[in-house]
This record gives sequence, structure tokens and C-alpha cells, in this order.
Amino acid sequence: MANLKDLKTRINSVKSTQKITSAMKMVAAAKLRRAQEVAEAGRPYSSRMQQVISGLAANANKSNSPELLVGREDVKTHLLIIVSADKGLCGGFNGSIARQTRQEINRLENEGKSVLVYMVGKKASDNLGREISNKTFERIENLQGSNVDYNKVRGVAEKILLGFADNQFDQVSIIYNQFVNAITQNVVVAPLIPANVVGEQDNESLVVYDYEPEQNELLELLLPRNITTQIFSALLESSAAELAARMTAMDNATRNAGDMIDSLTLVYNRTRQANITKELIEIISGAEAL
Amino acid sequence: MAESINIELVTPSEMLFTDTADMVVVPGSEGVFGVLPRHAATLANLQRGKINVYHNGSITRRFFIDGGVADVLPERVIILAERAVDLDSVSIEQLEERAVNATESEVSFITAVKKAI
Repeated sequence: MANLKDLKTRINSVKSTQKITSAMKMVAAAKLRRAQEVAEAGRPYSSRMQQVISGLAANANKSNSPELLVGREDVKTHLLIIVSADKGLCGGFNGSIARQTRQEINRLENEGKSVLVYMVGKKASDNLGREISNKTFERIENLQGSNVDYNKVRGVAEKILLGFADNQFDQVSIIYNQFVNAITQNVVVAPLIPANVVGEQDNESLVVYDYEPEQNELLELLLPRNITTQIFSALLESSAAELAARMTAMDNATRNAGDMIDSLTLVYNRTRQANITKELIEIISGAEAL
Repeated sequence: MAESINIELVTPSEMLFTDTADMVVVPGSEGVFGVLPRHAATLANLQRGKINVYHNGSITRRFFIDGGVADVLPERVIILAERAVDLDSVSIEQLEERAVNATESEVSFITAVKKAI
């Protein structure tokens, strides 16, 4: 049986782990509230932008529409943007992104396309870096977190647009964790190029719009902005989802540490009692022998 | 005038302004235009400039945007702008603070806002 001193040390070490995880949980919970507000405040812009583009696209003349909308006929290379966290200790958050990325890469390669990867966040390169080092287009860190900067995202989008114009890739999609609520995050794969156009809208697409300037010119202006917007909103969602995942993971860890402390304490008490009983028996049998 | 039009001014980070008004004037890339209730459905690209919101014939709110797009329907107008500033609540000090460490395009926007105040 384990001796008392060893047990005491283990209990103390689990107790200090529990203190750390419960502190992390509280920090994540406090930050989550803010991140959730920011993510929700960002939703109107991206959804309305999507609406405007879809309306435009529905009426557009397909033959001479910009490539950003209709895509290229011959797709050789596909760029995947994967959004992970900069830090770990957030449960399955980064793992599910990595899993989805592997799946997507397999699927695209089976279709005969080659794949490039744009890694956002430190953990993506940690998890996948070695296996896809020959596919890396670029990696970037410190982009998400408490303050996602629209101007920085614009830089990312510009780089992607340049690469597209330069024929480095012909299709782009983004993989990120969408924030649903504090305990649920969904891994989402969303297309960026060609643009994701929602089907016919109920009443609004029936309206005949005046366009100023011409429709195609307007599309050329709006589609690049839309890419920035979609990446920006993906980052906001992902930041909120990361904090939610961390909060849940740390809550579980705290609870598990509590269970462990209970069972260790039980063993500790039993052992101590057994020792006392043993000593008593020794004394009594010693006295009886006299 | 009984009729009014709904206005939404949205930036990537927030819904900056929503209200009803008698008229709103926006800086279209092909010329400044006013939007009254029952305006024809229009999708217009916007350039850098002022947005004026009118109630009872006078300007009640002023914003400055760095280009964007206006989605106009007879009963509402949605303005999507990547950068927008409320001219009535922003101060020169705040703008100067923003200009520190800002990119070139941001600085030129802030300079334009200062002139517009």
C-alpha cells in the first residue's frame, strides 16, 4: 500500500492543478462574453454583404462575370485557409480543425487537385506543420484573439487575391470553428472563391435594381471586399469559439481534478486508519502475551 | 411629412447607426445623391465622403465613411462601409490616437475625417 507521505504529495499536486484550471476557466468565461458580443456585432455586416452579392449574382450575366464569382473552369490548385488557435488547452478545438483539414486535403487530392494551405494560428502549424510542410502557402500568427484587426485581415485578403490573380491557385475555401453557443462549436468549411452565392432569395431578388456603376463593375468592386469580410467574420467566430471551448475544457478538468482529489483522500484516510489499527493490534496482542 | 425611411449604417465590427429619417444623403461614386422614402431600388458604390441624415428639413446626424456600398429599397437603405465615423461624437484627440500605428490608408482616412468635422 502506498505510504502516507506519497499520497499527501499527490493530493497537493492535484489540488494545485485544480486551482490553475479553475482560474483558466474563469478567465476564459470573462473573455468569452466580450468575444461573443464582438462576434455577434460583426454578423450584420457579413450577412448583408452576402445578401447584396447574392442579389447581384442572381441577376448577373454569367458569361462575362468576374472569375471571383463564377470560378475558373480548370481547377488545378485549391487553397485551404485553416483557422486555429494560438494557444492550446482548449479541448478538441484545434484537433477537430486538424481532422477536418486532413479530410479536405484527401478529398481534394482524390479529385486530382493539388492543395495549398494558409495556416492561421500557431496550433495549426504545430499539429499539421510536418505532414503538410510541402503544401504550405503561408502561415500567420497573432491574428485572432481578443482584438481581431480588420486592417490586418485586409492584408491577408490582399495576399490571397494577388495569389489568385497570379494563378497560384484557382479555388479558395476556409475552415474554421463557428461559435454556436458556449458548449457547441461547429467546424465549417466555407468557399471563398468562387463566391458562396445563396440561392434565390424569396422576395428581394424580384426587385429590379438600378446599378451604379454597371453591374459587373460593381461586382468587381464588391467581391474582393467580400473576401475580407468573410475572413474577418470567420476569425471573429473562431475567437469566440476558442474561448468557449477552453472554458468547457477547463471546467471538465476542474471537475476531474475534484474527483481525483476525493478518491485520493479516501485512499489516504483508509491507509491512515489501517496503520492505526495495525499499531493497536500490536499493542493489545503484546499486552495479552504478558 | 408622414413618410420616413429606415436607415442602417453597418461596419464590419458593429451596427453603427439605425434609425428612421426623412431623407439621407450619401456620397455615391458617380455623384452624391439623396434618398427619400419610395426611392427606386438601387445598388450604388459609395466613395469617401459624408453621410447626412435629415429630420424635418435639417441635418440631425452626420457620418463620414471611407467608401462602401448602399443597398436602397423604397422603404429602407442599408449602407455597408468598411470604415465609418460618427462626426458628432468623435473628437480630434480620439482621431489622433487612432492615427498612431495606423496604416497609410487609415491615416489618409483620418485626415479626411478631421477636415470634415
